[in-house]
Amino acid sequence: MTRAVRTRAAKTRVRLIAVDGVDAAAVAAAARTALGGPSRGGISRWDASGVFQDLAVADRDAGAPSARTLLLLYAADLAFRLRWQIRPALAEGRIVVAAPYLATGMAFGRAAGLPSSWVMNLFRFAPRPDARIVVHRSRDGRRGSKDGFVGFACEHMAGCETDRARRTLLDAMAAFLRRYERAATARVRN
Amino acid sequence: MPFSAAALRRKARQHFTDPSRSRGLLVAFEGPDGSGKTTQRKLFKTWLKSEGYDVVTTKWNSSELIKPIISSRKSAHALSPEEFSLLHGADFRHRVEHEILPALWDGKLVIADRFLFTGLARDVARGLDLDWVLKLYQPLLWPDLVFYFAVSPVTSGKRVSAMRAPNFYEAGQDVTDVNDPVESYQRFIGRVIREYESLALIFNFITVDGEQSIGDQHRQIRRLFLEGRQRPWSEWNEDAVADWLAVNGRR
Repeated sequence: MTRAVRTRAAKTRVRLIAVDGVDAAAVAAAARTALGGPSRGGISRWDASGVFQDLAVADRDAGAPSARTLLLLYAADLAFRLRWQIRPALAEGRIVVAAPYLATGMAFGRAAGLPSSWVMNLFRFAPRPDARIVVHRSRDGRRGSKDGFVGFACEHMAGCETDRARRTLLDAMAAFLRRYERAATARVRN
Repeated sequence: MPFSAAALRRKARQHFTDPSRSRGLLVAFEGPDGSGKTTQRKLFKTWLKSEGYDVVTTKWNSSELIKPIISSRKSAHALSPEEFSLLHGADFRHRVEHEILPALWDGKLVIADRFLFTGLARDVARGLDLDWVLKLYQPLLWPDLVFYFAVSPVTSGKRVSAMRAPNFYEAGQDVTDVNDPVESYQRFIGRVIREYESLALIFNFITVDGEQSIGDQHRQIRRLFLEGRQRPWSEWNEDAVADWLAVNGRR
């Protein structure tokens, strides 16, 4: 799938490639494969703005952020990445692999029980990708990576304190991403 | 999920409409910089405490979790209108969940020195779409009373620059491209006030003439509060309280 997108990008005008998934390490590996090489463009990664790095060292007494607060911050980081990384590179005619991009945020929001209309509105400012790659969890990756946005959220979010709550969230995200991939594939076929 | 959304909404409604319990009240003070709302907020709080109310104050952009993140980015002049809006939305949401709703649930009176309408007025003045910004703040928590302190752009500009030069974002220098902060402020605050005036009509704010004397304004606020505090709890707030109960899992 990843190499197929790269081949398609080389042949067509695909410029913005989204790579999404629950496991940050697997998403990063898929992003590198999708790009092919640094001469073709670059990879825009989560927390380029440093918002979550700052949040990680914030006062714990301030209270754990909710899923809604975390998703607002994810969108703020995405706005930063669009302004400083993604849009300038696209304007230069380069390929950008955004890993993660919209679907990870949407999957997280829906899995946490946020209304679809709120989640869709939140990301309205971001352009749709030209190609989408969804990275599924391997059997040994069922617990999900501790890195990346999903790992961060599982560690810091209110209501995600137990293994069971984390597993439920990750399973719901994975299910959303499977549906998202099926819908995206159907759109391409049609 | 241990409770359905409908059950949580019912729980919220029962709690806030229970006649045996004194219910929490949320009073918002809104208006442009230099409109005198902070002076009035302090006088109002002192009076409420003398009347026996248990009062909590919450200020715009003040959550312990998010404020440091916003402050460092403001110092670097590094925020686009979208980032500015989203970070303030996150700060607001965190305060709603950790300060405002817990206090209201416990029957306290919460005074908000600026509320979500500040975000709406400033973000729309920065060129963002009102519908997009309004939805960021959902589920909406409606105050029982909103006092809007109306002053002209000239009065606001004079009062703010009498004490200090407006800071970069206060002056809207990120969107006006004007180097002089005082001149930029004058342009930007005109747009903010226009947005506030539209919101005052749409959301039925109580307008206080911020050009009156401090004493006259304070007496007017006391009178309007005594008239308005008997209003029934707004059922529009069910979603916001249910959302909080779902996250919080308490009570």
